[in-house]
Amino acid sequence: MRVQKELERIPGYEVANHRIDAWWWLVVVVIGFVILLAVRIPDPYWRIIRFVSDGIVVTVGVTLTAFILTLGVGLLAALGRLSKVKLINVITTIYVEIARGIPLLVQLLFWYFAFPSLIQALGRWIQYQPFQRYLANPFAMAILGLTFCYSAYMSEIYRAGIQSIPKGQNEAARSLGMTHGQAMRHIILPQAVRVILPPVGNEFISLLKDSSLVSVVAVADMTRRGREFMAANFIPVETWIMIALLYLIMTLISGRVVAWIERKTQTEER
Amino acid sequence: MNRVPIIHIENLHKHFGETPALNGVDLDIFPGEVVVIIGPSGSGKSTLLRCINRLEDFNSGSIIVDKIPLTTAENINAVRTEIGMVFQSFNLFPHLTVLENITIAQRVVRKRTKEESLEIASTLLNKVGIPEKAHDYPNQLSGGQQQRVAIARALAMNPKIMLFDEPTSALDPEMIQEVLDVMLQLAKEGMTMLVVSHEMGFARAAADRAVLMDEGLIVEEATPDVLFNNPKHERTKIFLSKILH
Repeated sequence: MRVQKELERIPGYEVANHRIDAWWWLVVVVIGFVILLAVRIPDPYWRIIRFVSDGIVVTVGVTLTAFILTLGVGLLAALGRLSKVKLINVITTIYVEIARGIPLLVQLLFWYFAFPSLIQALGRWIQYQPFQRYLANPFAMAILGLTFCYSAYMSEIYRAGIQSIPKGQNEAARSLGMTHGQAMRHIILPQAVRVILPPVGNEFISLLKDSSLVSVVAVADMTRRGREFMAANFIPVETWIMIALLYLIMTLISGRVVAWIERKTQTEER
Repeated sequence: MNRVPIIHIENLHKHFGETPALNGVDLDIFPGEVVVIIGPSGSGKSTLLRCINRLEDFNSGSIIVDKIPLTTAENINAVRTEIGMVFQSFNLFPHLTVLENITIAQRVVRKRTKEESLEIASTLLNKVGIPEKAHDYPNQLSGGQQQRVAIARALAMNPKIMLFDEPTSALDPEMIQEVLDVMLQLAKEGMTMLVVSHEMGFARAAADRAVLMDEGLIVEEATPDVLFNNPKHERTKIFLSKILH
C-alpha cells in the first residue's frame, strides 16, 4: 500500500488513472445503447435479446469451461515442451504444431463429425460395445475442440513466460536442494505468472470470440440462436447488429477485468 | 585435521560442445578447510564449483562429496542439501521477502515448521547483520545486503560445505567488505569453504590453501602466502602480476 502512495506522487498518475476510467465509460455507453434500443424499439430488439438469452448462457459457459481446461492443459504442454525427456518433448512439440497449423473451424468439424466415427470403427475392431455405440455430445466436442486448439497457443505463452525467468533463479532453487517440480512451483511459476497475465487475458478474449464457431457443430450458442432468429423473422440487419453488440459488451468487460487483475498483481507483488 | 576429504575430485573432465573447460582436475578438500581458487577468466574455476553440486554435468572423472558419489539423481539432491552455494549475481527470489527467501527451502526441502524456519531465519539475519530488512523485498536492498541474505539463505539449510562463486565481483567497492566480514566469520567458525575470488586480503586472512587454475587445470596450490609471494610456476607469476599491478 506504500507503493500506491508513492505511485500517486508520480506526475501523470492522475491522467493514467483517468484513461482507465474512460475505458469503463465505453463499456457503459455500449451497454446503455443496447438498453436504449431494447426499451425504445422493443420490437425487434428486445425480442432478439429474449430469443438469444439462452445462447448467451451457452456462450459464456462454453468459453469459461474451455478456458479453465486450457489453463491446465496448456501448462502441461508447456512443461512437456521444456522437458529434457526427448520423447515427451517430441510428442508435445508435434501436438503444438498440429493444433496451431489447422484452422479451428476444421478442428471443430473433425471432433464433431469424424472423431465419433473413428471411435465407432475402433469399437468394432476391438469388439468393445460402448465404443461401437458412441455418439458425439455437441457440448463435449465443442469444448474438446476449443481446448485442444487453444491449449497449444496457451502452452507457448506459458513457455515464453517460464523462459523469461533468469536461469539463476532455477539454479539457486536447485542448489538449495529443491527438486525440479518444487523449483517450478515455488520459484519459477509465481514469477512467470506476472509475465504471462496480459497475453493469457488476450487469449481469453480470443476464445470468447472464437467460441462462436461452435455454432456449426450443433451447439446452440449466441451465434446459432441469432441465425435461428434471422431464419424465422427475416430481419438480418437488426439481428446481427444486436448479436454484434452483445459480443462487444462481453469482450469489453473481459478486457477491463483483465486490465484490473493485471494492475492488482503488478502493485501487490512488490 | 581429519585427513578424510569431504570433497574428493579425481581427473575431472568437462567440455562445452567443442570447447574444453576442465582438463583433468584433481582436488581434495578436507573438513573445516577454506580453499580459495584464483585464475584468469575462462580458466574453469566457476565450472569446477558448479560441477561439485552438479549445476553443471561433467563428462568424465569422479566427484565424491561426504562419501556420496555424484552419479545418480537421488544422490544429487542428497548432495545439494549438504552444499550451500552463493552466486556472483545473488539470485535472490524477487517475489519473496527477505524472510521468505530464507525460509522457503527450509519448509519445502527440510520440511521444517513455519515457526522453526522463521526462528532459524531471524537468527541468521542477525548473524549477517541485517535483521531490520526481514520484511523488505530483494530489490529494496543494496547489493551487499542482498549477498548477505543469499549467504543466510544457504546457511539455513545447515550445509556442511559452502561454495562461493565470485561472491563480491558484482558489488560496488564499498560493499565488498561487509560481505567478506560475514565470510571471515564463517571461516572462523570452522565452515568448510571453497571460494572462487580474487580478494587477496580475504585469502590471506582466512584461507588454508590457495589454488591457481588455468586452462582447465590446477597449475599450483600452496598456502596463500607462498602462492602470492613466492609462486613457483611461470603462469602463476604472470597471472599475479596482472591482478596485483
